[in-house]
Amino acid sequence: MSALTFTLKHDAPAQRIDLAPLTPDHLAGKSSAEIGAVELLCGNRRWRADRLFDIAGSDTDDIVIDNANGKLDFIGRGMQRGRITVNGDAGSYVAFGMRGGTLTVNGNADAFAASGMTGGTLKIDGNVGDFLAAAIPGERKGMKGGLVIVTGNAGDRAGDQMRRGIVLIEGNAGAYCASRMLAGTLAVMGSVGDYVGYGMRRGTLLLFKTPAMHATFQDCGSHTLPFLSLMFKAFKGLPTKFADIDQNRVRRYMGDIANDGKGEVLVFIT
Amino acid sequence: MLLKLTGGTVYDPAHGIDGQVMDIYVRDGRIVDRPREGERIDQEYDLTGKVVMAGAIDMHTHIGGGKVNIARTLLPEDHRGDPVDHTELTRAGCGHVAPSTLTTGYRYAEMGYTAGFEPAVLPLNARQAHLEMGDTPIIDKGGYVMLGNDDLFLRMLAAQKDQNAINDYVAWIIHATQAMGIKVVNAGGISAFKFNQRMLDLDEKNAYYQVTPRQVLKTLARAVYELGVPHPLHVHGNNLGVPGNVETTLNTIAGVEGYPLHLTHIQFHSYGTEGDRKFSSGAARIAEAINRNKHVSADVGQILFGQTVTASGDNMSQFRNAGHAHPDKWICMDIECDAGCGVVPFKYKDQNFVNALQWAIGLEIFLLVEDPWRIFLTTDHPNGAPFTSYPHLIRLLMDKTFRNEIFSRIHPDAQKMSTLASIDREYSLYEIAIMTRAGAARLVGLHDRGHLGVGAAADITVYTDDPDREKMFAKPDYVFKDGELVVRNGKVVKVTWGATHAVKPEFDRGIEKEIAKYFDTYHTVKMDHVKVTEQHIAEDGRNHVIVQACKGRRERTA
Repeated sequence: MSALTFTLKHDAPAQRIDLAPLTPDHLAGKSSAEIGAVELLCGNRRWRADRLFDIAGSDTDDIVIDNANGKLDFIGRGMQRGRITVNGDAGSYVAFGMRGGTLTVNGNADAFAASGMTGGTLKIDGNVGDFLAAAIPGERKGMKGGLVIVTGNAGDRAGDQMRRGIVLIEGNAGAYCASRMLAGTLAVMGSVGDYVGYGMRRGTLLLFKTPAMHATFQDCGSHTLPFLSLMFKAFKGLPTKFADIDQNRVRRYMGDIANDGKGEVLVFIT
Repeated sequence: MLLKLTGGTVYDPAHGIDGQVMDIYVRDGRIVDRPREGERIDQEYDLTGKVVMAGAIDMHTHIGGGKVNIARTLLPEDHRGDPVDHTELTRAGCGHVAPSTLTTGYRYAEMGYTAGFEPAVLPLNARQAHLEMGDTPIIDKGGYVMLGNDDLFLRMLAAQKDQNAINDYVAWIIHATQAMGIKVVNAGGISAFKFNQRMLDLDEKNAYYQVTPRQVLKTLARAVYELGVPHPLHVHGNNLGVPGNVETTLNTIAGVEGYPLHLTHIQFHSYGTEGDRKFSSGAARIAEAINRNKHVSADVGQILFGQTVTASGDNMSQFRNAGHAHPDKWICMDIECDAGCGVVPFKYKDQNFVNALQWAIGLEIFLLVEDPWRIFLTTDHPNGAPFTSYPHLIRLLMDKTFRNEIFSRIHPDAQKMSTLASIDREYSLYEIAIMTRAGAARLVGLHDRGHLGVGAAADITVYTDDPDREKMFAKPDYVFKDGELVVRNGKVVKVTWGATHAVKPEFDRGIEKEIAKYFDTYHTVKMDHVKVTEQHIAEDGRNHVIVQACKGRRERTA
């Protein structure tokens, strides 16, 4: 069986499209006619999937979205298993509430990627917008589990109110990185912007160079942390540069002491 | 424009009509006796075999005012989880337990309801409450304004002001807020909470004003009675949800010394302390007291299992229950020293002993109170359950087998503590028509609604008789609002805007001098800015005020 491929038509409407129904769970057991008839919200109208996409292939556990234009929202919303591959730019809310499976974006993604995600793996081979792994307005927890790999840069507020899980950013992160973080692990290979860990409650932010930190972060000295060796061992084999790291000597900063102060910023030292 | 509704089986308890096949004529929104000589019938509906009732009236439903908006803000997941698409006729909306105003109006109409009354209008929030209700389509609206915890009233009571002065203040408030009646929430308790009291029983003094809930209740019940306001004092009792509060409720009934009283969501006030878990049903005692005291009426505030949100002016009890919030978030606040507000989301579970027993207590009260003219069908929307569960509740009352089947699945210890299974009563259609139409209209004081007599507004609901009462009441065949067909087969076919009902008791305008002085000294706004006028309500061109008569004004006390 070949991958079920949705290729965005060139004459599709210019509005954003909600792709939440196109997950392996929703499409399992559907015939190609039924898949073509799935209704997708586009702007304020509902369109049939086959009006917006050329559909080929039949394996509903392996979905490919081709020709993505950056306006396709909610890709992989709540998906529990299977694989989705996006070729081109995804829109906002990619992997929103994702529970399992693998989602790969070969391109950029927009805001609120991995928001409410509880399991599975999201890999973005490109840059990602603001609020990566953060909570949408009204929610009190962002990402709650799973693994996110971003090979490019992340926007502002990465890990805002993140509660559990691992986020690995190979590029840079914007301002308010790990703000109001509740728990979990966030690692950034490049630089971070202003206000690192603003309102951070618990959790771990792993950095490679010392950022400018506000006064509510306390320097707690240099340590050799064996758990880092175990963690990086667990990363071996993952499709990321983090798989090649083997370091466990860090400088540890605790904060934000204006908000519980049990969070830690670990910065690698030699 | 003359309509003829032909051959329906009519239930009109206000006129003692119990399932009689008859024709109804409607001319220009009003029910008429028969066409004039030679008058042409413009439209005829054949209702042979259908059940015809007046439009239903929800006499206690939180559909407007600040706390509903707070509940909406607090529960974005409720909105995301229940989006409603727009159609050619209706606008988009969302929300299951705290729906948007537009969705509220459509859903009520689609269930055969043609009026709903917001029971907790704060005087200083009245404008917002009316604006919100003005955005609720199709159904008629109205509100009961909250007194009894406001600073000025408590000052007057503490200063032992003459009852006539208090009557004038109460009447002024009703005028200024375009209200249908007066509600008191946890008499004196909302205020006491702000002075760090966490409980206030009927004879306990407010730490600051040194007045007791009993004084507040009696004074307000008397004021409402003497002003001739048709709706008796609407009482949300003290000690809501506290095991053993059945005593408080019985004392409240005795405490007003015979003045008319409406006890709202009484299910939450009917708890005993027997049994291993010190939580038991007080339903039998409450029902007996209602049966014996003819001046007392009640609505039940039934809980139904599932997610909902409780929104109440009673910040004392909401603060007490905040630990049970599900999901875990809540708000309690003061509002302009006028009253308070507490919003706590709840999930009632049938396998939770307390929730299961609450469910059984509500139904016990429904079934043990003998007079359907004095007990009303509510879930205290959204506190017990959203109003969309009314058809389910009606089936529970009308279908013993269905009721017992659900009863057999609730928490086993709760089953042991309840007599529900031994109660054989099933409500008849006539009795349902009383509690949701004729009785509700009489209680609220809507003289031209809730019945199908000549001169009544043509708010009419037509159902297909179905042994599954839930199905029957969920989807009426036709709903007419003021003579216009607004719903067909359970779907809105025309959007109208309904009106706002209010009463205008007479009073001595001289009281304004004192009130104005008070506002100038203590308040953030001037007295005149608080007043909501009929023009304000009619301003948007679709709402207007219908003044219901204050029949039976009593002589002022010497």
